[in-house]
Amino acid sequence: MAATITTAMATTGLDSWLQQATRCLAKDSTAQVQSEIREHYELARESAMNGGASADEADRLAVAALGDAKTANRQYRNVLLTSGEARMLRQGNWEAQAICSRSWIKWVLLIAAAAAVFSGNEFLLRGSIMLAWKLFAGGIVIGLLFAAPFLPVYTRLGGRVFRGVRWVAMLTMLGLAFGPDAPKWSWLLFSCLWMVARPEWTRASIRRKLPVAEWPRHLYL
Amino acid sequence: MHRNTMYRITRETMNFKGTLPTLILETLAHETSHGYRIAQQIKERSEGILDFKEGTLYPALHKLENEGMVESYEGMEKGRPRRYYRITKSGRGALTRDRAEWRELSRAMTTILGEA
Repeated sequence: MAATITTAMATTGLDSWLQQATRCLAKDSTAQVQSEIREHYELARESAMNGGASADEADRLAVAALGDAKTANRQYRNVLLTSGEARMLRQGNWEAQAICSRSWIKWVLLIAAAAAVFSGNEFLLRGSIMLAWKLFAGGIVIGLLFAAPFLPVYTRLGGRVFRGVRWVAMLTMLGLAFGPDAPKWSWLLFSCLWMVARPEWTRASIRRKLPVAEWPRHLYL
Repeated sequence: MHRNTMYRITRETMNFKGTLPTLILETLAHETSHGYRIAQQIKERSEGILDFKEGTLYPALHKLENEGMVESYEGMEKGRPRRYYRITKSGRGALTRDRAEWRELSRAMTTILGEA
């Protein structure tokens, strides 16, 4: 009876360790961690009992040998997919979703991008240089954001170049749009950039964790 | 070393932060093994001097796997399923570089501190 109670307590100790160590991890990652840690725990427990420890002591030693669960969680989150990253991996990128869910949006956005570049050219010929540049930059950014799924970007290097061009175009557009008033509108600038930077950061983290062979198409963009 | 080398000395053990991946590669260079055995071999081979928390072993193994230094497969031991790890060709290359860098560092430290 006492042995059953102590084993249950130790299992609770392991469960609590696992709960902390798998916090924020994706379902698959959690299952993987639970399986490998349970396997490790059983071997450690068995070894301690073979060494003469009581069941209670063996359980305690096996959990203690695992160390701090929060440290393990931090390390696991650096190498395994978190729930947010798994969601993003499933859903793809929001730009692609926006145009793929409704085909008419794709045409509206592509026409808007082409119209902006065309109008920019017209204004440039008429001498309105600043307005022309704003239209050029706007057209290119809309084009890069929403036409991305149709561009022939299939390699790691191609993806890096595409992302670099997109960021330069986006920052140029924001710079041109706000001009010398940029500091006054910095809150709006940061809000706009945050919307793009946050998913970009998550994608960069997924790229680091997944082998290139397993990358879906949208990770290149 | 291809990772930061820092160490903390406690009364009985030494915890070389950032060297765990190298120690894992060194262990796997001798034989294919599962996580628990890797942990025990590192402790045994260092005669208990190098200590690390076993919960941090698996994140390090996953990182090495992501980097293509080790690969894993399912196996059986005493009728139980186990995940085994083996070193890859690029893992052996990284280990050779790590060994060379460690010798350099060790030689430099000995020059400064003198022979114990």
